[in-house]
Amino acid sequence: MDQESIPSTKLSRIAALSGAGAKVGVNYLKYYGKRVLGGSDDVIDLHEKNASEIYKTFSELKGGPLKLAQMLSIDKNLMPPAYAKEFAQAQYSAPPLSYPLVARTFRREFGKSPTEIFDTFTQNAVHGASIGQVHRATLGDQTFAVKVQYPGVAESLKSDLNFIKPIALQVLGLKESQIASYIAEVETRLLEETNYTLELERSIELSRRSAHLTNVRFPIYHPELSSARILTLDWIDGLTLDKFADSDASQEDRDRIGQALWDFYDHQIHTLHLFHADPHPGNFLVKDNELWVIDFGCTKQIDATYYRKHFHFLDAQVLEDPALLEECLEAIGVFHGSDSHELRQRVLKICAVSIELLGRPFREGFFDFGDESFIQGIYQLGEDNLHSRDLRKMKGASGDVDGIYTNRAYFGLYSLLARLRSRVQTRLPEWLRELEVSEIETCTDHRRITVA
Amino acid sequence: MTSFCTEIKPIFCPSTNVKVTIAMQTETTSDTLTVRQRLIDAYIDRLREHGSPPLAVYPFCKSLGIGEKDFFSVFPNLDSVEAAFWREQVIHVITAAESGTEWEGFTAKQRALTFFFAWFEHSLEIRSLILLRFSDLGAFENPVWLRGFNQAFRDFAKRTVNHGISTGEIMQRGKLTELYPDGILTAFRNLIDFNLKDDSRGFERTDACIEKSVQLAFELIRSQAFDSTFDLARFLASGFRR
Repeated sequence: MDQESIPSTKLSRIAALSGAGAKVGVNYLKYYGKRVLGGSDDVIDLHEKNASEIYKTFSELKGGPLKLAQMLSIDKNLMPPAYAKEFAQAQYSAPPLSYPLVARTFRREFGKSPTEIFDTFTQNAVHGASIGQVHRATLGDQTFAVKVQYPGVAESLKSDLNFIKPIALQVLGLKESQIASYIAEVETRLLEETNYTLELERSIELSRRSAHLTNVRFPIYHPELSSARILTLDWIDGLTLDKFADSDASQEDRDRIGQALWDFYDHQIHTLHLFHADPHPGNFLVKDNELWVIDFGCTKQIDATYYRKHFHFLDAQVLEDPALLEECLEAIGVFHGSDSHELRQRVLKICAVSIELLGRPFREGFFDFGDESFIQGIYQLGEDNLHSRDLRKMKGASGDVDGIYTNRAYFGLYSLLARLRSRVQTRLPEWLRELEVSEIETCTDHRRITVA
Repeated sequence: MTSFCTEIKPIFCPSTNVKVTIAMQTETTSDTLTVRQRLIDAYIDRLREHGSPPLAVYPFCKSLGIGEKDFFSVFPNLDSVEAAFWREQVIHVITAAESGTEWEGFTAKQRALTFFFAWFEHSLEIRSLILLRFSDLGAFENPVWLRGFNQAFRDFAKRTVNHGISTGEIMQRGKLTELYPDGILTAFRNLIDFNLKDDSRGFERTDACIEKSVQLAFELIRSQAFDSTFDLARFLASGFRR
């Protein structure tokens, strides 16, 4: 109880900042109260109550918390299912910005109001983006999607994160030191997302370098109509990926879109080492049987050394040889020098299971993501890892920070493909195929799970 | 297409930190300046330079080569000179906002927001003055120099509320409705206060604060809470007013 109870000063600080903080606190106090009094240990109920309170406040706060909520909603292996469910809803529509503020932003950025630049410009946002909102505009016969950022997002981000950090720690039952690097990495990515100039550059770069992919399309970006706070691209009429997934699309169409998605990620991660790290369904549209990638807000670059280390787990040898596995885990910083031998052995076992499961699509060559047992297995794995006392005890705990977004990309990809019920052709990255031939191996593996 | 922004900009460009003189002060040349305008300009210049207003009419006029009679024909006292300045600032921003092409179609809420955004854009030009005058001003203090400012804003707020009532956006609640302009003025003063303490880049947090405050104010206007709040505020304020 001592380690988990909420210090009163912290509680009051949270309470001052948000009703949700207080309510979560109260829910926890009720929970611990019940436990102390010998009541039932209904932790699931507690999670559900908290999730809905936090979600309510996050959706009001917009900006950072909404973004973090989105991120956590995808990184479900870090979240109890109840939270994940509530946060998944955070992916769309935050309350809109007023038109005068949008007009003000335009004047600040371009010295002109939207109607001076465009022939038409919707006063109301057509949909929300997590740190901004999208307006539809026309000029001549062109139609644009104009993304306008909420003012002060970058500034409020840090304080927002500081504010939810204690809640997150409490919810996940972690110590700050364990996830400090995790929070720092998330913060960096979030701050990057507030930089529309960078987003424009990355969008254009990734579009250009991925242009050859079959059935993958990118809208045209308009640098002359973009700035640090405004991003303009061609308007694409299409179904968001989740709507497409829920439609009565044929298996053939599902496979085609799923394959496009797989190829897109495969190319980015294994060839470009620069990838779209925000695979939530709102960032993709399906139009005329092609996949349109419409949001490069969150991208992650990994260097070649890290890449090799991380994807070495796809090598079949790693699963067969515990010493090699340990070496690989050591290389990416999962183990800390002071971790005991017994602890290491138990963690190795957990990691072997993770790697086997997560690398399965790569091994099979042709994989049916419609098989629910696979994605359920991944959720279960996340849940087990979350509750694993061994993983908690680990000093390094978070492993390498670069892995956070790499894992997130794959986790998001798997979730999307499962939702699409796609069947896709998969294959190992080229350098591992060479390795494979030389070792005459057929069975390989990929990916480890980020240890919470 | 002209919009009000073209008249008050360019004022401040956050990326380059370039400051450009505002239109209002460039349109007059020394030859055509009225005595009234010369007095206001000199008063404000002195206030800006020295951090304190002129103390007496005689030396002030003498330094300008203006006779006392001319002074008193346009202003009853020194404080009124400053009051005229602040009133003009508010009216300048209101005029600029109202002349925007989209103004007619705006709701009361959008009009209030547009004014506030335009005000804080304009205020960058006179931020040192605002810092000097508003920093230590109590929430319910109403010195002579501020009266023109308050009056000009209240008039605008009244027009905005009436617009809201005519479109059904704001509920007519008889006597209580008369309190709304004062309420909006209080909100304005709070925003000025917030802006002076704001240390975010380009005062972005002020923008967010405007958005949230106006959102809240218009939500409250629809409910009884607003009336009760201002009833209380007025009751409390009456104790401090002259």
